[in-house]
Amino acid sequence: MADERKERFFLDSLRRALGPPPQASRPMEDLFPRKPSAEDQRLLGAVSGRSEREREELLRRLRAAAAPLHLQIEAVVDLAAARATVLRLVAEKSPEWGGEKQLVAWSHKLIESLDLAEPLARQGIPLWMTAPIDPGLAPEAAAEERARQRARIAASFIGITTADFCLAETATVVLRSRPGEPRSVALLPSIHIALVRRGQILADLKELFALLRWDERYRGAGVSNCLSLISGPSKTADIEATMVHGAHGPREMFLLILPD
Amino acid sequence: MSAVRTERYVEESRRGIADPVLRRALSGLQERFGRGTAEAYRRLPEGPGLRQTAHAIREKAIANLDLLLERLAARIRANGGEVFFAATGEEAVSYCAGIARRRGVKLAVKGKSMVTEEIGLNSVLAAQGVEVVETDLGEYIIQLAGESPSHIIAPAIHKTRNEVADLFARKLGIPYTTDPPRLTQAARRALREKFLAADMGISGVNLACAETGHISTVSNEGNIRMATTLPPVHVAFMGLERIVARLDEYEIILRLLCRGASVQDIGTYVSLIGGPRRPGESDGPEEFHLVVVDNGRSRLLADPRFREMLCCIRCAACLNVCPVYGRIGGHAYGFAYSGPVGAVVTPLLTGVQRGRDLCRGETLCGACKDACSMDIDLPRMLLELRAILAAGDATWGVKPEGGLERNVWRIWAGLVSHPGLYERLLRAGAVLQGLLPRGVAGWIRRLPPPLSGWTQSRDFPPLAKAPFRSRWARRRREVGRG
Amino acid sequence: MTVKKSVTLFVPCLVDAFRPEAAEAVVTVFERLGIAVEYPPGQTCCGQPAFNAGYREEARRAARHFLRLFADCETIVAPSGSCVAMVRHHVPTLFEHEPRWRELARRTAARTFEFTEYLVDVLGAEDLGASFAARVTYHDSCHLLRGLRVQEQPRRLLRRVKGLEFVEMKNADCCCGFGGAFSVKYPDISSALVADKVAWIQQSGAEAVVGGDLGCLLNIEGALRRKELPLRVLHIAQVLAGGCPPAGGPGP
Ligand code: SF4
Repeated sequence: MADERKERFFLDSLRRALGPPPQASRPMEDLFPRKPSAEDQRLLGAVSGRSEREREELLRRLRAAAAPLHLQIEAVVDLAAARATVLRLVAEKSPEWGGEKQLVAWSHKLIESLDLAEPLARQGIPLWMTAPIDPGLAPEAAAEERARQRARIAASFIGITTADFCLAETATVVLRSRPGEPRSVALLPSIHIALVRRGQILADLKELFALLRWDERYRGAGVSNCLSLISGPSKTADIEATMVHGAHGPREMFLLILPD
Repeated sequence: MSAVRTERYVEESRRGIADPVLRRALSGLQERFGRGTAEAYRRLPEGPGLRQTAHAIREKAIANLDLLLERLAARIRANGGEVFFAATGEEAVSYCAGIARRRGVKLAVKGKSMVTEEIGLNSVLAAQGVEVVETDLGEYIIQLAGESPSHIIAPAIHKTRNEVADLFARKLGIPYTTDPPRLTQAARRALREKFLAADMGISGVNLACAETGHISTVSNEGNIRMATTLPPVHVAFMGLERIVARLDEYEIILRLLCRGASVQDIGTYVSLIGGPRRPGESDGPEEFHLVVVDNGRSRLLADPRFREMLCCIRCAACLNVCPVYGRIGGHAYGFAYSGPVGAVVTPLLTGVQRGRDLCRGETLCGACKDACSMDIDLPRMLLELRAILAAGDATWGVKPEGGLERNVWRIWAGLVSHPGLYERLLRAGAVLQGLLPRGVAGWIRRLPPPLSGWTQSRDFPPLAKAPFRSRWARRRREVGRG
Repeated sequence: MTVKKSVTLFVPCLVDAFRPEAAEAVVTVFERLGIAVEYPPGQTCCGQPAFNAGYREEARRAARHFLRLFADCETIVAPSGSCVAMVRHHVPTLFEHEPRWRELARRTAARTFEFTEYLVDVLGAEDLGASFAARVTYHDSCHLLRGLRVQEQPRRLLRRVKGLEFVEMKNADCCCGFGGAFSVKYPDISSALVADKVAWIQQSGAEAVVGGDLGCLLNIEGALRRKELPLRVLHIAQVLAGGCPPAGGPGP
């Protein structure tokens, strides 16, 4: 095919530009190692052997990093406290684009265990739980279902997600895309609430990447098709360098941290 | 390729200098970011030496580009994405235009991407009836105003809030306000509609990783995440050099990118994207295309003098410290890339001869090298470009400089290697300068061409009555006598 | 002092022609320290102007002359940051393909020092017993600062001068816009740069601005003289020589 020829031509001209290939000395094991390095081992060890004191320290660093980013952190003692926090936010905040209050949340065990549906229903506030698209659906039906979910997410003023990890150093929430856990729940609503367990807090990007590269539990999916690192609400300083929160993504972001 | 106006450097720089609003904005930007970046490098846990580590990572990646790109492409394809290798800007643009035609795209939303500025994507898509909306707030402002970006990271730095207020009142039909939060809100509302309606999302690539097979985008606003999540097609453009081998290397470059670009530890949204949405996922694009663009980059790769430039990640840290950029602004550089990075890369991509004022119009102060997140020796490459312009260079299509300038330097070289002659000329000069008009303290008010540029705003020092060489001789005689 | 030290002075072309007092001041400082000064006759230029303009063959001719002249000198000291940066960093690369010259260039590079760098880093001398009664600010010349990483040395020396009140100006490390041929070829940009520099100097409240590179100093002084401002512009050696009477420098 024409594109394939083009590709060969492209890569050949690249190789010509690179000059005579020092093939023997290409550092393949360095470019794409098959075993974790000593540094990787150290990082993996740090994650798995973290003491309670060190976890406390991570939480402290997370709070310190979050404050200047306007990422609001609430360490809650249990599920009931988390529920109360969410309900408080629902009561306090109002929809940015007008209309009724609606919420959307990932269908995730942790979120389901908050039992939000019932108290919200009492106030007449709908809570939409997202769902994977059934692979058995015909393409048109699947497209319809997607459009329906999109409309609900866009109409919600609060979106609730969990996270795969959380990074203390940069106050970053790590979301890996999966069926039933749409990315736009953390993007289209004006307020994003993320729930994590204390044990999901890592020190930094280095630890995250070491896990993604070498830990069997995460390695298979690797980076997956989309990994989002979110560090606070959306912001811009494009008009006379004045900082404004809520450029395109959520204006406010809350991170609720539950005990393990 | 988008329009190249590098020949107008002198003219356009004059315009920038004469614009007090621009000057104020630029000095504010440089004050905030210029100093902040250096401080951010110092605060790195590894210390500022991490820039050298990053440089080595980038050099290794560049030296193995073929392997890295093959690996990246294989991974993305295995994940269901498409990869297209475009030798020229035209090929890249027409590939994207082809997708737009096939899918009947009416509206495309774009995240900030310098390479699409470089290849002139927007105008081609527009010509086939696609509405292309820039979604970075700064880019959106200048698109509404019908202008081009003047800074890689802060494209609308040259616009005041009053100008934005006028613009939004006219184009978005909102009540006139100069309040940045309200203006931002207006753009947020208008662009949200576009995101939700778009048929295609277009982004650049800050950095790709071969090992994992992903590209990545960084933004604070979330616009790129919108553009890469909501529309059914995502087309990402990357210069062929924007890649590293491993994820741990990616981490180092990412941290430096965020510090260099905006003195942040990390951008608000970093997306690592390896392909289209998976079965069962309800959002994310159903088609993902990566367009890898050469457009002259392999010529840099082939020239050992300029290969280093491919280490650049377009963080714009060099702009934020450059005294020349700080006075003339981005438009003077006449192409997508401005500041020190533009002064080197634009002539190499668009013609050294026509870009000669970009190569020569800097002071070589070296601030850019110290600020560069990838520790790139930009002054060295400016010197190489000047050498090419002076002596000519077939590979870059430059003829040797002729005429007056060359002769002046030849004569100079003769003089400085013949001290006797040199000394006589010095003495003659001390006498002849008597003919020139003087200001205070004997300083010269006006010099004849070709030196008249100096005295445009400055006096010129008079030659000392006796140069040091004769004073020394006198001194020795006296000491000898005494 | 048991070992009698000596240095060989390289007086760059601009100092020689426009500000010989600066070189004389260097001699005075060294003599006061008991260091013998040699000055090989026939000095001209290190090649920097041509090199910066891209004329490498011409720069090589100048550099060869320089290298020949200083071939046997043990320690070379020059009152100019950019010339020393040229000798240290660029001259060796100019002879990349001429092994014999390259060797000589490397050897020479290792023995060449900028004046304040030599005083502080090599001699460990900071208090030179100088006195200079004025409020003084210091301009960091680019090649001295970023080429040689000389930033603290001149400040330390100035702070030890009796009667001298040292004040920092804003953006002391920002280029003054000289840039050699740049200042003549791109006068608009160069003028904009020096205008800001002059403003920062004025804001500092200093009566004199001091630096270690004559190109910058002439540029700054040229702008001051045109505006008929009474500030004095001095090479740091002139201050450190201390004998310089308050009214002795150039200026109105
Ligand atoms: S040259 Fe360096 S500082 Fe400038 S944009 Fe490129 S990486 Fe950033």
